[in-house]
Amino acid sequence: MLQYIIRRLLQAIPMLFLISVLLFALVNLAPGGPMTAYSRSNRIAPEKKEAIRRSFGLDKPLPVQYIVWLIGNDWMPVDTDGNGITDSYGTRKGVLRGDFGFSYRNREPVLNQIADRLPNTIYLMTITLLVVGVVAIPIGIISAIKQYSKFDLTATTLSFMGQAIPEFWLGLILILIFYATLENPFTGEPLFPAGGMYTLDAKFSILDRIWHLVLPVTMGMVSWVAWYSRFLRSSMLDVINQDYIRTARAKGQNERKVLYKHALKNALIPLVTMFALDFPYIFAGSLYVELIFSWPGMGRLYYDAATARDYPVLLAVLTIGAAIVIFSNLFADIAYGYLDPRVRFE
Amino acid sequence: MLKYGHFRKLGLLFILVFLAALVLGCTPQETLETPTVEEPAVEEPVVEEPVAEEPIAEEPEAVEPAAEETSITILIPDNPVAFNGLNTDTGYEQALGELIMLSVADVDPNGNIFPELAVEIPTIENGGVVFDEETWSMDVTWKIRDDVYWSDGEQLTVDDIIFTWDVVAEEAWTPAVDYTESIEKIDDFTFVVHFYEGWIFPDYALQFGGEDFFIYPEHYCDAEQGFYEWDCDDEPLSSGPYVLEEWVADDHLTFVRNPNYYEAGKPAIDKVIVRITPEEAVEKTLMLEGDADIHYWPGEDIGKEYESQDNGVELLIAPTERWVMRLIPNLTMPGDETAPHPFLSDVRVRRALRMAVDVDTILEQVFLGYGEPVWTEFFRPPYNVCDIPRPEYDLEGAAALLEEAGWTDTDGDGIRECNGCPNAEDGTVMSMEFAIYAEYGETLELAQQLIAESFKEIGIDTELTMIEGAIMWAPAEDGGTEMAGNFELDMWDDGYPGLDPTDNIIWTYYLSNNLELEGFNVGRYVNEDLDAWLDEAYTLDEEYRKEVFCEIAAILEEDLPQILLWSALDSHGVSERLQGVQPSANDPLTWNVADWTIKE
Repeated sequence: MLQYIIRRLLQAIPMLFLISVLLFALVNLAPGGPMTAYSRSNRIAPEKKEAIRRSFGLDKPLPVQYIVWLIGNDWMPVDTDGNGITDSYGTRKGVLRGDFGFSYRNREPVLNQIADRLPNTIYLMTITLLVVGVVAIPIGIISAIKQYSKFDLTATTLSFMGQAIPEFWLGLILILIFYATLENPFTGEPLFPAGGMYTLDAKFSILDRIWHLVLPVTMGMVSWVAWYSRFLRSSMLDVINQDYIRTARAKGQNERKVLYKHALKNALIPLVTMFALDFPYIFAGSLYVELIFSWPGMGRLYYDAATARDYPVLLAVLTIGAAIVIFSNLFADIAYGYLDPRVRFE
Repeated sequence: MLKYGHFRKLGLLFILVFLAALVLGCTPQETLETPTVEEPAVEEPVVEEPVAEEPIAEEPEAVEPAAEETSITILIPDNPVAFNGLNTDTGYEQALGELIMLSVADVDPNGNIFPELAVEIPTIENGGVVFDEETWSMDVTWKIRDDVYWSDGEQLTVDDIIFTWDVVAEEAWTPAVDYTESIEKIDDFTFVVHFYEGWIFPDYALQFGGEDFFIYPEHYCDAEQGFYEWDCDDEPLSSGPYVLEEWVADDHLTFVRNPNYYEAGKPAIDKVIVRITPEEAVEKTLMLEGDADIHYWPGEDIGKEYESQDNGVELLIAPTERWVMRLIPNLTMPGDETAPHPFLSDVRVRRALRMAVDVDTILEQVFLGYGEPVWTEFFRPPYNVCDIPRPEYDLEGAAALLEEAGWTDTDGDGIRECNGCPNAEDGTVMSMEFAIYAEYGETLELAQQLIAESFKEIGIDTELTMIEGAIMWAPAEDGGTEMAGNFELDMWDDGYPGLDPTDNIIWTYYLSNNLELEGFNVGRYVNEDLDAWLDEAYTLDEEYRKEVFCEIAAILEEDLPQILLWSALDSHGVSERLQGVQPSANDPLTWNVADWTIKE
């Protein structure tokens, strides 16, 4: 197993390298650029504009920019005043040494920007995914056990609706109903807030935090619940028609034990793959949820960076995202081997 | 097969993850992070405690009966970059800067310049401006207030103004940089600006003011960091009515009353909360539910809702407009500045294009009436004195002009071809790309479609495109379509801050200050007469300036290098309980925030 993990980790290195090259090229070759903000501004001297371009490293050829981004330039002489003569060493350490550079837009370290938003995203998305599990798994199980029952038909209908409803629209409708229409009968306040992570100017309260989570989590979970419950239903139906389930029944085990001890455990295994695919969302966030509920998370950071051509922020988010995808897939493969003895690491 | 124990472990893991997420999300937010680089070698600003000797005019607050804290909430969709009007990105930097920063002078919604840090506005009459006709030069003497203190208790002096000017002149740019030879400190509260001989700067009163220029504290800002990089515009020291208490990126900013603010008894409102709310429908809902007081720049449909219904929200509109939506034709071939465009280079065609745009219908149907037709650059006071008649919407007249220009439809497909036109081969089809920028939103897209339909009616085919501003206005080396000349007809809005249009006209039309010198004459328009008249605009004689601008207006009307169409109104949704708000096209809405009150 250890050998397998080491091999996969070693394989991940060239893959990440290739991904980083591709991402760097795609981001930089897209039309437009970070200097647009200064291009439309009359408020900066042309020579200062050039100095900013130099300080961003945009005066160098793309391959050199990539090398600086990757391994830094604190080892290479640089020309800081643009007179064609190198006069000092650079200050960048490169992403391999944990330096993702400065945001072009805000002029602050990229990692600071990510650190401001990542906890908010992990907080929202982890709870969303956990609630998805808590809601979707029972629905999937009951739908499979009681196939074609009223419950199954209702769940099926609702899950199709859940998948079809545009997330953006759902969020607005939730606000319309639970913020603008329904009131808390005891306080007269809206039933749920329309956005934000907590009540401003109020003392810290865990109930307040949960109160602010209800609508964003609901918005984020609907399509996931629909998808996961359908998937589990299908997986469960596959399993309960297997020979070993028939054998368990033939040996006289009661139906409850057959379903929950033998069938369910095996039906859940494919969910590991799905979870591995969805795991990066915990870090990437959901742009629509963040936009509708004014949630200060990674989705908005990425979106704003993309529109402003803030390359360092864009590249940091994309590269970290790519690494998480690779490692979550590795984690899924390892979990498979752990959960299913038929899978062998070779 | 999966063992039961595995599930118990997984269950335990889930519970741990859930708790970890709650803990993560429930960590109280910190107020104001420390700067990422070294702090200036001064004491940390303590906003509440002025120095002992500081003169405070009011009675001690302790004797006042404890009043309930008043607060208002402003909704904006984007996180500002910094408290820096010259380093703007979202347009909200100036608006929030007004809460905490002062300028030497500012301008009100009606175009009247008023002193802020200054004791009075220098003029020739009061001896503040000395004009030497022999050398054609001017000196301006400013006297500033001696009762203004930074929120850490340090007094604001001329040193702060000169410090700010030096940094701006070194690293950024304002029009005055080109004219200012030196600034001389007379004493802590008096300084003189010496302008270069041979140069007159008519807009001198807003050299250190207007919407963009704030004064920064010398003792707090680190000039070595650089104007665009320094931390003192992220964690600013206040001289204005409020102090920044907390800034949670992408979430909210909280401002509290500045106890050191120089105007006695102001501001009346204790706290201003700015919520970053990206979705406009949510902004509207918050306003209608009474949970917010200002919806900054609502869309026309929402503005209409505020205005037409009794819902506790008013739509306040600035008395003058500023941003003019315009068609910008490239007079040269896309990608080849040396060759004329087949038809946009012909002024008859440009005139026909203007005649084909039904501005009234667009304003009525797309902008719901929240706009005014504009057809000359000189439409704002005090220079709206030129007699330039409003052009008529006339499709038949437009078609006749195209015929006259040698563009006729010979093959019957409804699109004209060149038949004796001056700048294209016969048979050239009258077709062009027509681009708008994506960020403006749906209204501009609808307007583009209506205009394209009108063009089609007069036999001009258009390929409609919508591109990001980051591409349209990028430098040529980054693929910027306009700077590189790779466009045919663009539509976007432009306008100038303050009262003086001179620099904006120069950047937009002056040939010798064109693209190489960072101008925006993207249509490649050339008229030496115009350049000469622009040189004449540099005088303190206001009446002569009006004459000059009217000459320029006549030339632009004759040549139509750009086709001005309309100006959308500067409007804001404001709760009925909030009083004293006066939208302005010259300044952000918050220009008089210290005067705002809450109606009981």
